Amino acid sequence: MVPAAVQHEKPREDYELLARVAAGNQGALSELIARHGRGLRVFAARYLGNAGDAEDVVQEVFVTIWKQAARFDPARGRASTWLYRITANRCIDQRRRRALRTFIGLDDVRDEVASQEPGAEATTAARQELAIVRDGLSRLPERQRMAVLLRAVGDLDIAAIAEVMGGSAGSAEQLLVRGRRALRDHLRDHLAMAAEGLERKSS
Amino acid sequence: MTRDEFERNKRRFGDDVDAWPAPFRQEARAFVTGETDRSPQDDPDRALDRLVLEAALMASDEEALTRKVLARIDASRRSTWSSFLPRFLLEPAGLAACAAAMLVAMTLAGYQVARLQDDLPDSELLALASGARLPDNGLSDNGLSGDGMSGIAADPAAGEDSL
Repeated sequence: MVPAAVQHEKPREDYELLARVAAGNQGALSELIARHGRGLRVFAARYLGNAGDAEDVVQEVFVTIWKQAARFDPARGRASTWLYRITANRCIDQRRRRALRTFIGLDDVRDEVASQEPGAEATTAARQELAIVRDGLSRLPERQRMAVLLRAVGDLDIAAIAEVMGGSAGSAEQLLVRGRRALRDHLRDHLAMAAEGLERKSS
Repeated sequence: MTRDEFERNKRRFGDDVDAWPAPFRQEARAFVTGETDRSPQDDPDRALDRLVLEAALMASDEEALTRKVLARIDASRRSTWSSFLPRFLLEPAGLAACAAAMLVAMTLAGYQVARLQDDLPDSELLALASGARLPDNGLSDNGLSGDGMSGIAADPAAGEDSL
């Protein structure tokens, strides 16, 4: 039998952590960040196309959670869906702010995360494929990109994606289908172009 | 995901991989089932999701994030007054816009005040129109001349009669 001291404590569920956060427990907030910080940051960074903005958004999200954790109702859905919903809304706000600042000339922003051209970092076929996917993601319409990222990064199902995006399950599924199709087309076209380029070089 | 990372995450999140948070969960599933090779017979949507995740992943430091979030919470506690202000007002652009708006408002207010002060009383205007000389020592507060008579009393016509 394993001594009690060596046994791992069963990790707390997200809703339990949120209840503790609502009671003012900073340790629970740290645990929540350790669990979801990475996923939310990847989602925000790839949706916004800017790592700095994503960092800012995710910090804001956790400050909001600290202040409003008591508003989470486990009966109404999963905690992870709630976290992604807050993040998605913050990302949309950030995008609008950025668009306004760029319009009035306060910002000259290029996509920091998604600016790599396919092939720029491609030293191997696998890397090239990933670079093409990143490029394809950055070119998707915003809502399609959000749906694809919520599925792939957040591992959310259609119902949860619809809840996060504030629409019906049908429209979420449509966005996902279109986004995947566009990504596949982008990937196929660019891989074909890369193969042609290689052939030309070798000949 | 390497074996070490998998074991480390197992200690953090427990034995049940399906209960791990995303994206650790998908990475662990791929590691456990050896799905890193995207086989053609695999579900194409799942394969694409995996590819998207792999492409999207980036270096992340949750400890640094925690420190920054706690610092923000601490700062917001210390300066509660700032929470009543919209955030854009605390940024340089917001401050500049505020300063410009205040300047315009103060200029308009200045014009209004100056216009009120420069309003001549009707009696003075009448006197001016009729060519009367205003007394040098100005008017008293009630708009009358120092001797209690209206400026109109200094009508030049009165002077002519006396000749």
